[in-house]
This record gives sequence, structure tokens and C-alpha cells, in this order.
Amino acid sequence: MRRYGSNRSSRSFRPPKLNITSMMDMFTIILIFLLFSFSSEPELAGMEKDMELPQSTAKTDFQDTIKLVLSQSTLKMGDDIIAHIEDDIIIGLDPKDLKSSDLYRQLSDRAKTSVEITTEPEGPRPILLLCDRRLPFKTINQITKTAALAGFPNFQFAVLEM
Amino acid sequence: MPGLKRKKNRDEPDVEVDMVPIMNMFLVLVPFLLMSASFLHIKAINTSVPVLGSASKEKHVDPSLKTTVVLELNKTAMALSLNADTIEPKEAAKWRRQFSKKDDDAFPLELLADHLGQIKNAYPASDTLIIVPNGDVLYETIIQTMDVARYKDSETKLFPNVVISGKIG
Repeated sequence: MRRYGSNRSSRSFRPPKLNITSMMDMFTIILIFLLFSFSSEPELAGMEKDMELPQSTAKTDFQDTIKLVLSQSTLKMGDDIIAHIEDDIIIGLDPKDLKSSDLYRQLSDRAKTSVEITTEPEGPRPILLLCDRRLPFKTINQITKTAALAGFPNFQFAVLEM
Repeated sequence: MPGLKRKKNRDEPDVEVDMVPIMNMFLVLVPFLLMSASFLHIKAINTSVPVLGSASKEKHVDPSLKTTVVLELNKTAMALSLNADTIEPKEAAKWRRQFSKKDDDAFPLELLADHLGQIKNAYPASDTLIIVPNGDVLYETIIQTMDVARYKDSETKLFPNVVISGKIG
């Protein structure tokens, strides 16, 4: 055995050639696929991890505008938390006095600047509303009512493409 | 032919391109792109809520061709009616329908789509549907209903202007 081993090590060692052509092909395909699905848009920014958007057949792209994110636990404007939600009730948003809420104040401020800068005849741009699919309408209705009062009656409901 | 092959092998040395740096680059690029790739595509449904005092800017159309569909949603059924302000009350009553949930706890959306298609044929200038959901109706149900009401298929429009209104009272 010893003799056999020493004979083997004495021969010049030639490293085995690895054929990486097929691996290169595979990587090229993966790379092209990923480059196509690469998205620089921060589409899901601000969404909670447990949030689920409804699926839809809609094909319209959303506009870059005010974004409200309504999950089962928080209401966010962009990335800022405006209110917390408990048992489908928005804390700090009194249905009888919507104008006293933080949401109304912030949206009215945005509406003032929006009217100043917008030249669109249709008025302010729609609000992009990302809502969890399990929320009841009573919760969403408070948001849409408040936004309409603040001067944003048009909405874009964000959905996942089917 | 075998002679030719032998000659070629003797004259031209094997040239091997070093693929290792390219492989390294791929190995860095693939995880980076995997992390930043977005496999969920977000789209949007345009809608609005009714606002007091918003004057109608639409063109004048023959009232006999146009009406507004009102769809009330609750947890167990959908009630469809036409706005009797624009058409005869008798005519409006003819189109009234109720769609109750099926055994599998889903709304019969195909029946709703068929009925909306018939209304669209009768009033081709109509493009507005008002959804009036109850407070306990889930957002997902509203979106499914909007999908059915807006387009019959990718080409045929039914009622693309969907207005969401909370129940009064």
C-alpha cells in the first residue's frame, strides 16, 4: 500500500479540468431574467411585513403621489406612522369629527401646496391607497372620507397584478 | 478527415479563456439582483368618493342611453338597482336584482357580470357604477366586485368609473 501511495504522489499532479460552460449558461439565463425583473421603484416601501394586498385584473400603473398605507395595525403616510389601528378602529380618528385628526391636518397641508403647484384642471392628484385585503370597509371609509374632506376625493387602490 | 483533424490539433494550441473572473462577477450579481428583484407587480384601480358640490363636466348624452348603476354590498348579498332619476321608475325596477352568496361562501360574480353586460347593452352610454358597501364588507370583496364591474374582459368596458360610497345612516 505504501509503495502504491508513494508511486502515485511522485507522478506530476494534473488538476482535473472542470467544464464550467454549462454553469455559465445557467448563470447567464438567471442574470438576464433577474435583470428584467429588477425594479428600481420602491413599490413596497412602507408596507408592513404581514400586510396582504388584494389581487386584481387591473392593468393601470399607479402615479407617484401621496401614499397612504393601511395595514391591520397602523396607518402610514409614506413611511411615517400617523395612527394605530386596534380591532379595525383607527385610534385618534373620530368618525363624528374627522377634521380633528392628524390625517386631516396633514392632508390639508398637502392639499394647499398641491393646489399651488398643480396645473391639472382635474384638481389634486389621486391618493395611492395600499390597504390590507382583510380590512373591513368601515375602516377604509374613515380614511377616504377624511381625505375627501381635505380635498382629495380621488383614489388609486393599490392591488397586486394577477 | 481524420488526417485533417490531426493536423489542425498539431498546428493550433488549445486556447482556454479564463472564465473564473466572469463566474465571480456572476456570483456577486445574482444574489444582489435576487434581493432587489420585485416579483410582485403593483397596479392601481382608479376610484373616487362622492363629494358635495362637484359639478358634472361630462358631455350631454341622450338620457335614454345613460343611467347609473348602484350596487349595495353586505356580507351575504348584493343588491343591484338603477338610478331612477335618469330613467323611468318602471324601467329601473325591471333591472333590479339580488345576488346572494353561494354555498361556497362566494358571491356569484359571473351572474353579476352577465347582468351588468345586459344593462350596458341597454344603456351603452353608461359608465358609472356606485358601490355602497356595508361597514363589515371586506376590502377584498369590494376589489373583486370592482374587477367584475369595470371590464367584462380585457377589451370590453362595462362601467369603468367606480365610485365608492359609504352608507348614509
